[in-house]
Amino acid sequence: MATESDGEEDTAGKLTGSQHLEVDDDLREMAKKAAWSVSSCKPGNGVLALRDDNLDTYWQSDGAQPHLVNIQFQKKVKLQLLVLYVDFKLDESYTPSKISIRAGDGFHNLKEIKTVEFKKPVGWVHIPLSGTDPRETFIHTFMLQLAVLSNHLNGRDTHVRQIKIYGPRPNPVPHQPFHFISKEFITYSTLR
Amino acid sequence: METLMVDRVQSSLRLFMYRNALFLCERLCAEFPSELNLQLLATCYLRNNQAYCAYHILKGSKMPQSRYLFAISCFQMNLLREAETALCPANEPNAEVPNGAAGHYLLGLIYRYTGRRTCAVDHFMQALAIDPLLWAAYEELCILGAAEEASECFNDAAAFRVQQQQLSESSSQNLTIGTECQSLPSSMALGSGDTSPRHSKQLHANNTRETLSHPHGTVMVAGHPPIGGPSNISQYYTPPAVTQLSGVAPPPLCRNAQLYLNAIGGDGYTKSNVNAVIQAPRRKFVDEGKLRKVSGRLFSDSGTRRSTRLSGEAAANTNSNASQLGGNGANHFSAKSLGGLSSSSSKTNSAVLRSVTLRRGQSWANENFDEDNTVTTSSMSALADGKCLEQDKMGCGISAHDSRLASGIREFLGLLRTLGEGYRLSCLYRSQEALEVYLRLSQHQFNTGWVLSQVGKAHFELVDYFEADRFFDLARRVSPYTLEGMDIYSTVLYHLEEEMKLSYLAQELISVDRLSPQAWCAMGNCYSLQKDHETAVKNFQRAVHVDSRFAYAHTLCGHEYVALEDFENGIKCYQSALQVDERHYNAWYGLGVVYLRQEKFEFAEHHFRKAFHINPCSSVLMCYLGMALHSLKRDEEALEIMEKAISADKKNPLPMYQKANILSSLERFDEALKELEQLKEYAPRESSVYALMGKIYKRLNVHEKAMFYFGIALDLKPPAADVATIKSAMEKLYLPDELEDTL
Repeated sequence: MATESDGEEDTAGKLTGSQHLEVDDDLREMAKKAAWSVSSCKPGNGVLALRDDNLDTYWQSDGAQPHLVNIQFQKKVKLQLLVLYVDFKLDESYTPSKISIRAGDGFHNLKEIKTVEFKKPVGWVHIPLSGTDPRETFIHTFMLQLAVLSNHLNGRDTHVRQIKIYGPRPNPVPHQPFHFISKEFITYSTLR
Repeated sequence: METLMVDRVQSSLRLFMYRNALFLCERLCAEFPSELNLQLLATCYLRNNQAYCAYHILKGSKMPQSRYLFAISCFQMNLLREAETALCPANEPNAEVPNGAAGHYLLGLIYRYTGRRTCAVDHFMQALAIDPLLWAAYEELCILGAAEEASECFNDAAAFRVQQQQLSESSSQNLTIGTECQSLPSSMALGSGDTSPRHSKQLHANNTRETLSHPHGTVMVAGHPPIGGPSNISQYYTPPAVTQLSGVAPPPLCRNAQLYLNAIGGDGYTKSNVNAVIQAPRRKFVDEGKLRKVSGRLFSDSGTRRSTRLSGEAAANTNSNASQLGGNGANHFSAKSLGGLSSSSSKTNSAVLRSVTLRRGQSWANENFDEDNTVTTSSMSALADGKCLEQDKMGCGISAHDSRLASGIREFLGLLRTLGEGYRLSCLYRSQEALEVYLRLSQHQFNTGWVLSQVGKAHFELVDYFEADRFFDLARRVSPYTLEGMDIYSTVLYHLEEEMKLSYLAQELISVDRLSPQAWCAMGNCYSLQKDHETAVKNFQRAVHVDSRFAYAHTLCGHEYVALEDFENGIKCYQSALQVDERHYNAWYGLGVVYLRQEKFEFAEHHFRKAFHINPCSSVLMCYLGMALHSLKRDEEALEIMEKAISADKKNPLPMYQKANILSSLERFDEALKELEQLKEYAPRESSVYALMGKIYKRLNVHEKAMFYFGIALDLKPPAADVATIKSAMEKLYLPDELEDTL
């Protein structure tokens, strides 16, 4: 399960990140085919560093706050979890401290869905995305935007080392209202 | 010097010393350039896995054997066009295919891989016609879906042909005696075979391969070890024993006499006697080198006799002649044999033929027919003998041989028949019947790697994964290094979700052979089970790379791409699978699923139907076909197929569920609920059943029940997506109530 150290309420506790990336089995990475872009970057530390599965490379912004990371999908997708890798020990004042997550159809109608605060995070920070109704586990959207509103120690620019986005797996049997979970059903549900 | 070199090269090849063979052969070709030597050199290269070298040196050769070797090299280098032209030159449409059955088989393969199915089928059939024991051709026919029943292919006529072949092989050395003896074949063989051995012996002595052309082909093939193995040479049963004839039943020269005796049953005593006698005299005879003379005499004698004999009887091939043969014997023999012949009943023709041929072969025309064996066995034995002859050493009493040969052939064919029928049925996906056929095999044949994997595969097709697992496991224990069928085993383990076993299997297969597609398929399945689809794709692609003619690797790769939602590549993979094997129904199914997902329902239906056409017994396929029909709004047909699926496999809950789904969409809620109630009994922990029931009750506005069922569904811990759907459905349930309350 997604592990968070403290609570996940935006208002109260702050996130600190964990050593390991722990994601549920029924989730999968969604953003491989998405279009990623950033508001600004330093040459050599561009958007690719966010997706290269290398924790040593990072994206460094180079402009005014808020720094934005935009992720645009080809179609409306269900998203459940956002995970970031940040490291206070290495990046100190470049480490983000307040992040706002917005979603919408495009740049013109993004709406904030969540704000989280970090406290000296080291490692993977898991941020579940739920709709306004806490009982809804997914958000259904075309675009996601991550806005770094402020950094630790009032740094201007920010470093983010990796970002991953997770959503539910599709039903292996197409056009079904529900998933199958019992052995008997699953055995007969597909051919291989 | 040339013969010496050739001999050394051949013995190096036999002993797998390829470097030595290559070196010596190159010297040979330099010293004595000739096409035959070139062929030998090409053989060395091919054995050493250097097909390109063989290709190079044989390019342009015209001799049939060269063309065959050239075609093999082209085939290995995947130059199918050139291979085809080599075997079937464009400007000689009627040229005979080199190497008979093998050539046709190779041609069949070429046509198959270049997509010309009918030509391929044609050639495989021809190959089988020439050599009924060419299992690989029958196997290919099954794969192409064009095999006729095994009992048709491996029947008595086939036995006859085999016998003829065997005999002709032996006799070919001497004379190409013809196939006059047709008849025999299936008959019980035997008896007469003796003449041949004798002849052969004599011929042998004369340096002529007698192979008494027993064209009768009683191929002793199968079960019998080369008749009278060389060691028994003296066992040749040479018919010459004209003298023997008188009274002494030609003893089956071969040491198989014993067997022969048994086979002939009846001649027993004579045979043994003869044997003993024959052996002695024979050797003597041979030693004396009078063979020639005798043979000459016999030959001439036989000439006339033969005809008489031929008219007379085939059966009585008295082997008696064999023994004494000596020069005198020949004459006597002929006389005797004639006499004997006449007495023998059997199908004279064959016998006579045999004798005739024998004569030709060796002049003694040993008509050592077993007088006792009236049956055509004589011819058979002759045939068999012929075979013996070919080895030169096979003296075995002809009769003995023949009968043995014949019964051996029949046994072998019987075995092939069972296996062939089983394989054919499993290729037609009539798995239940296939299983029954395989159970007819003897214990020791059943407990072999191949059969056990086939049985496992049949269970897999019946979606009985536990049994499949059991049989594959047995297969692995019996032959731990076998790779065939292990890809299916890995899929079985995947379905059973046995991670440990699957990864163990994959590791083992890789360590056995890193270059086999099955090993990489197993690895890929392992990663796929862990939901690591990207690595799985890499592994399946490796499998494809290792052997692009392995259809299943392509299909599995396609499945992984689809799991990654990369439909374009998925479709490409499935299509490559279909190019290799059009009857690979999994690929048709995969394409159907892709189109279903892409909502191209017409295409989906078409592909599922194709898959269903190939495998009409699979309830899962029927279910999917029904789903496609439902999406096309052809609900009546959909319901029909679902009914079929339900009755096809009682253990499959999906069709019932789908039926309920369709019924509920048609608003036939009560029927739907009935189905779901049944399903509840069968799979009590399946949340989707309860969820669907809840949904139906919601539509019917029976809110309490709807809540109840939604609750159960949630308790069973479905995945998050379902939780969300169910919870929101539950929310909406309350709203109307609340409204009512407030009102």
